[in-house]
Amino acid sequence: MESYVLGLASDEERREFEKSCAQYPEVLAARTAFELALEKQAMENAIAPPADLKNKIIDKIGTAGKFVPMQPEQVRKISWLKYVAAASVILLAGSLYYNINLYNKNKDLQRNYDSTVAKLNDMDKDMQILQQNPNIRMASMKGMDISPQSYATVYWDSISHDVYLLVNNLPVPASDKQYQLWAILNGKPVDLGVSDIKKERLLIQAKNTQGAEAFAITLENKGGSPTPTMEKIYVMGKL
Amino acid sequence: MLQQRNEKAFGYLYDNYSGALYGIVNSIVTDKEIANDVLQNVFVNIWRKIESYDALKGRLFTWMLNIARNAAIDELRSKGYRDSKKNQPLGENVDVAGAVTGPAINDVGLKNVLTKLKGELRVLVDLSYFQGFTHEEISKALNIPLGTVKTRIRTALIQLRTMIQ
Repeated sequence: MESYVLGLASDEERREFEKSCAQYPEVLAARTAFELALEKQAMENAIAPPADLKNKIIDKIGTAGKFVPMQPEQVRKISWLKYVAAASVILLAGSLYYNINLYNKNKDLQRNYDSTVAKLNDMDKDMQILQQNPNIRMASMKGMDISPQSYATVYWDSISHDVYLLVNNLPVPASDKQYQLWAILNGKPVDLGVSDIKKERLLIQAKNTQGAEAFAITLENKGGSPTPTMEKIYVMGKL
Repeated sequence: MLQQRNEKAFGYLYDNYSGALYGIVNSIVTDKEIANDVLQNVFVNIWRKIESYDALKGRLFTWMLNIARNAAIDELRSKGYRDSKKNQPLGENVDVAGAVTGPAINDVGLKNVLTKLKGELRVLVDLSYFQGFTHEEISKALNIPLGTVKTRIRTALIQLRTMIQ
């Protein structure tokens, strides 16, 4: 205990003694008693230092006027601060980048959304044409051997003779090809027009026809063909 | 505001304890001028290291006392001190190891108490506490086993304590 208080103990001895002090109040009490005795001794034998010493010391400390941490701790603290500052800058930069990304994505999404809404509105209009019109007759065109998955529908207005084509499923044609719609009237094919089958409009209006037994779509070169290419019938259906 | 409080606190520490610490420094360094410089170092160290003071480990005075003792010992062991002619001249009270064997005129406080210890115990405490030699150094210088040095110093310090408590 005496060694510890007088600063003569080794590191290990110090650790052990500190444990004892924490564990045993009587050890702590003994230590404190010795410390008090030392202080009393020192005070009783005090020698007054020169009067100007205090000012010299104040000068040496400097005008910072504040208790500052030990140098090593100070360095550690500054490093820690720099580290935090650097980390925040990185975080901020990262967050800015992320935000810009999100903003752009959001703009894209907004555009997509707007165009989807427009499409839906158009679809709505198209459906209204079909639903509100009692004269509409429908022809379901099923996929032929070339393209069994294909499927389209023709709506024919028996009074106005307007023809509307609904593309349910048709493969996108090559850039030099187009789909052509035909009405089979009196056994003969009648051209009702060509289309690129763009996906924006669900319903495509084709040329009028007086009537039809059936409708068919063939794949022709761009511009269409006066007569249908039989080998390239994609869909066909009776009215 | 906080700055003023700290300056005030430091001033208080100086006013109340500089004398006691000066006494300690003097008992190790003995030359007054050098002791002045050492005392300045002591208080500058106290100012700088105050945040490292851990109340769990002991009282504030003990902490300051050890700063004072260490500063004085550092001065003793410094090249400047050893080279200067201000070393205490060897007197009749000094034995081969350079330790004090009898009371000197200006011995006060703990050093005076030291003289009440018997023979080897006194030498050991003087060498370790007042001159800052490590156990290993003492063991080699006096040709005593290290364990013996430790045990005897421990005994000596216990005696010292009973003399002042």
